[in-house]
Amino acid sequence: MNVQRTHSADAATVEEALAADNHQGVVDSEGATALAMQNTLLTPRFYTTDFDEMDAIDVTPVRADWDKLIAQMKSDPNKGHFKKNEDWDSVDWENMEPRLKAEFIDFLVSSCTAEFSGCVLYKEMKRRGNNEDIVTLFQLMARDEARHAGFINDALREAGIAVNLGFLTQKKKYTYFRPKFIYYATYLSEKIGYARYITIYRHLEKHPEHRFHPIFKWFREWCNDEFSHGEAFALLMKTDPKLTSGGNVLWIKFFLTAVYSTMYVRDHQRPAFHEALGVDPDWYGQEVFRKTSAISEQIFPITLDIDHPRWMKGLKRLQKANADLAAAKQRGSLLGRIGPSARAAMAFVSLFTIPAKKHAVPDTTRMEPAY
Amino acid sequence: MGLFTRETETAPCQVEVSHKFDSLHAHMKFLNGAVIHPGDEVLVHGAPIMAPYGEVVIEDRMATITRASKLEQLWTRMTGDFEFMELCEFSFSEEVSV
Repeated sequence: MNVQRTHSADAATVEEALAADNHQGVVDSEGATALAMQNTLLTPRFYTTDFDEMDAIDVTPVRADWDKLIAQMKSDPNKGHFKKNEDWDSVDWENMEPRLKAEFIDFLVSSCTAEFSGCVLYKEMKRRGNNEDIVTLFQLMARDEARHAGFINDALREAGIAVNLGFLTQKKKYTYFRPKFIYYATYLSEKIGYARYITIYRHLEKHPEHRFHPIFKWFREWCNDEFSHGEAFALLMKTDPKLTSGGNVLWIKFFLTAVYSTMYVRDHQRPAFHEALGVDPDWYGQEVFRKTSAISEQIFPITLDIDHPRWMKGLKRLQKANADLAAAKQRGSLLGRIGPSARAAMAFVSLFTIPAKKHAVPDTTRMEPAY
Repeated sequence: MGLFTRETETAPCQVEVSHKFDSLHAHMKFLNGAVIHPGDEVLVHGAPIMAPYGEVVIEDRMATITRASKLEQLWTRMTGDFEFMELCEFSFSEEVSV
């Protein structure tokens, strides 16, 4: 008997997938994850915000730029990009140095979690918003983040790591983001994401011998998505000058300091990963901060003075305090946490109080990826 | 909503889990228009919903919403913002330290 079999993986819509022959109806499939696979449970946060405030955004002042950006995102130039082709060389996971393997998997899992969290946040905004412009933007961004997460997930599967999405049936608490903090935080996370990916991509272009996994070849188009998401948030902030002036400048400084210093500390937790890439984490950090600062001048009236003598010193102190704190936690020593926590707080204050560089913000916000 | 007391309610919801190459996502929406506020907790009933690789699974379930007390809601509003770092690819996980 010759029966046409359909598979949900080939389906174009959810309905098709559910109707596909391989789908056993609405079941929670215990066999979903192969037993041999190591399970990593994704635990994104869930968010609420002031949806009325978000709905009140009026993009009229930036309408021309806005419509162009949304049209570009709708045309989805990277749609065909996230496919594995002949450039996806096979990876020798078995013989990868264990320390490198652990750090690289940690890198992939946290990347996947970040994309996934972005997707959850954007989808929630899309679902509860009523402002057509805003809802459209969040829908498009959720699409990109889910696509990136799927791509990383596939790389993880090759390594024998199954991402578990079972978190939905665990008790979860909804946290709260003020809309303006969503703009600052997501703007920065998208732009610094761009700077991180493109810096690695360009480095590996020059030093292909350090490209130990094919996923790095996909970083350029990937980070162009991040770049356009950042552009959208820059335009959103441009609609209301109050968001980037007065007391809010201090908030911007806080977010810049927190994001840069977290990145520094976190990257130093992956020495084998950076060594394999042939990248000095200190150089990489400064390079990424420099790019992110240059880009963020499009909307933020200040940038951090990363060449200030206290900058690198403060980062190193923060990193040391953090490593000591982690060690104390591992020992289960509550008392031992006090010292490192205080040192970390002092290092952060020292970084935060470095005078910022002020500059004039251009009238037109839009930029194109240039690195 | 009480200042200290938490109330619970149940609501029907729809869960969508996509485990496909071109989209990894998981979303939940309430079918009765229930609205979540800061600090509320949501528990979807039943076994974990696991979509096999390459598939999208949509299920209707019941969920318990535990409403935050007034105080908890206030606290979440004041402190929630500081969890933003998770959106960054270099956010902290508990596994690695130096």
